[in-house]
Amino acid sequence: MNENESCVVDLTRSLLKDGPSFLSHKVIITGDIAYLRPTISAMMFCAVYIVVGGGLVSLATYLLIVSTKYDLSIFVGGFGIAIGAFGIMLIQPFLRRVSFNRGLGIFDNHIDRDVKLHHIVSFQINNKMIMRKHGLNYACFELNLLTEHGRRINILNHNNEQQLIHDAALLGEFLGVEVKDYRREIIL
Amino acid sequence: MRKIRNIFIGFLVAFSTSAFAEEAGSFKQTIANFSQSVDGFFNDYTGWFVSLIFKSVPIGEVGFPIIVGWLLLAAFIFTLYFGFVQFRRAGMAIDIVKGKYTDPNSKEEGEVSHFQALTTALSGTVGLGNIAGVGVALAIGGPGATFWMILCGLLGMASKFCECTLGVKYRTILPSGAVSGGPMYYLSQGLKEKGLGGLGKVLAVGFAVTCILAALGAGNMFQANQAHAMLSYAFDVPSEYGLITGIVLAALVFSVIVGGMPSIASVTEKIVPWMAALYIGMALIVIVGNIGQVGAAFGAIFAGAFTGAGVAGGFIGALIQGLKRATFSNEAGVGSAAIAHSAVKTKEPITEGLVSLLEPFVDTVVICTMTALVITIAGLNVGPYDGSGLTGVTLTAASFTETAGIFKYLLAIAVVMFAFSTMISWSYYGLKSWTYLFGEGKTPEMVFKALFCVFVIVGATIQFGAVIDFSDAALFAMSIFNIIGLYFLMPVVKKELASFIARVKSGEIKTYEK
Repeated sequence: MNENESCVVDLTRSLLKDGPSFLSHKVIITGDIAYLRPTISAMMFCAVYIVVGGGLVSLATYLLIVSTKYDLSIFVGGFGIAIGAFGIMLIQPFLRRVSFNRGLGIFDNHIDRDVKLHHIVSFQINNKMIMRKHGLNYACFELNLLTEHGRRINILNHNNEQQLIHDAALLGEFLGVEVKDYRREIIL
Repeated sequence: MRKIRNIFIGFLVAFSTSAFAEEAGSFKQTIANFSQSVDGFFNDYTGWFVSLIFKSVPIGEVGFPIIVGWLLLAAFIFTLYFGFVQFRRAGMAIDIVKGKYTDPNSKEEGEVSHFQALTTALSGTVGLGNIAGVGVALAIGGPGATFWMILCGLLGMASKFCECTLGVKYRTILPSGAVSGGPMYYLSQGLKEKGLGGLGKVLAVGFAVTCILAALGAGNMFQANQAHAMLSYAFDVPSEYGLITGIVLAALVFSVIVGGMPSIASVTEKIVPWMAALYIGMALIVIVGNIGQVGAAFGAIFAGAFTGAGVAGGFIGALIQGLKRATFSNEAGVGSAAIAHSAVKTKEPITEGLVSLLEPFVDTVVICTMTALVITIAGLNVGPYDGSGLTGVTLTAASFTETAGIFKYLLAIAVVMFAFSTMISWSYYGLKSWTYLFGEGKTPEMVFKALFCVFVIVGATIQFGAVIDFSDAALFAMSIFNIIGLYFLMPVVKKELASFIARVKSGEIKTYEK
């Protein structure tokens, strides 16, 4: 690729298509570290799947022991494993500690390559509308960072607008970078 | 009050650990008592409502429910008024789905592809109405009920076109940024524009109330009930264990509607089209495998439609069952589809109306007919058709199983998925009506959501009976308020259609060949 070649990064576009209709994380700052803490309600809703899945697997095991209904055991167990695995998959992002460490000078979200904090140019607040054909549609908000190399990485993604604005300001102040508001009117 | 108290006592006992610890007989008795109390409650307190909605006029030896005639007449009037739009503009509807009127280079953010739109629309039409509903129709109305279902599906396309166009045209953006639309809004705003604000308000409130009842009945208890009935049939699970089915379903519904977890909703949206494909695939295997009997099956359908042999009330009886179950399945004229379609991303309300008219065709004319053929070919549904034998989802499942034993397991998975996705959809319809009546806010919304989850457990636990009658009545009651409004507002839709066609012809709306 030619080094002189330039590209345009559209900061008004949201990065993720989906998003929850509840507050998923809050920004907590302790000393030189700013990290995202998942809310208890978010963890609980993920736990529902693990509990239901685990319950069904237990029921399947019980059925296997006390009866000869193998087809029912497989059906219930299969459903249980599917739901439980789904719950585990769902809860994993909440267990990952996303942090900005001023001491080490890096941002680590355990998904993308670590970003050096001095490469972060700005934060952007974006809004989007989550549309579902057979379900509620709701407004959702993103806080994304932009690096000097044009990388955009999502930090927060939930529907509590006030909390997100507050957290964006906290992070902006913590890192000394500007927060740009790219919220716009969405015409359906 | 005693009934209410008994229900609560039964509920508490059912959940107590001692009930689980005691022997199965005691548990069975407890659940039977609970079921009986709930059924008795519905019979005592909602029986008048069911009688009112299904008030009949005697035709020959049988009572013809006025509400069935009301829906049929409306569909007929809309068909005439819009100049047989479902036949003359079907090509245009398919072109819209194919993206002929959308610039491929101007795809907006969040916009779904036309293939996605089509699969979503098709998957949304396949549900327990196609599986359990057809089973009920044929068990009581004989094979001839199928003919009347097809007729109702064809006419219902015009009703759906009208209501879905209005749903988009009069939708509103709430302070939260969410889009809200549906009969509540077009009845109040549309009629206000015509100087009939008072009537519009009354109709909108009436619709919202009946929609909430239907969401708890047809969109919730019926689904949970039939999901457990399917599990009972496929795995020989005792009916009293519906409590477990109910708790599992309620927990999952809770996580979606209370928690707002986007992932499970996305997963459901992705799985349901495959379930629909699985169901259609199984039906095709049965039909193709018995291709020699298809002619005879159609013969029985046509003969039964006009003779009504073995059906209480003859052909009128077959007609009533066909029309009732077709409406339950495709929901044309009921107004629920207008709520879902109002959230779509489009600048032209008429395009959504045209796309939506394909749904009753796919749902009733194609898929319900396939189910009816499977049942008729299997030969398990024999006269007299009084519903005393196999009925509902068990008749359909038994008919599939006649061809291959594995079908009952595949059907069980499909039925549970359909029931779950339908409950999610109806929770949305119910919530929209609830917030229309009580306003947006965390507390009123949470009350409805909690109530909805409780009804899932109730629906899975109790037996068929008064509750199902209530589910039916609530769904049909929605059409009373909706159709009155549609009569007043149909000129608005006609104007929209004429304008769209004129702009397509003049080239103002460009076409894009793929």
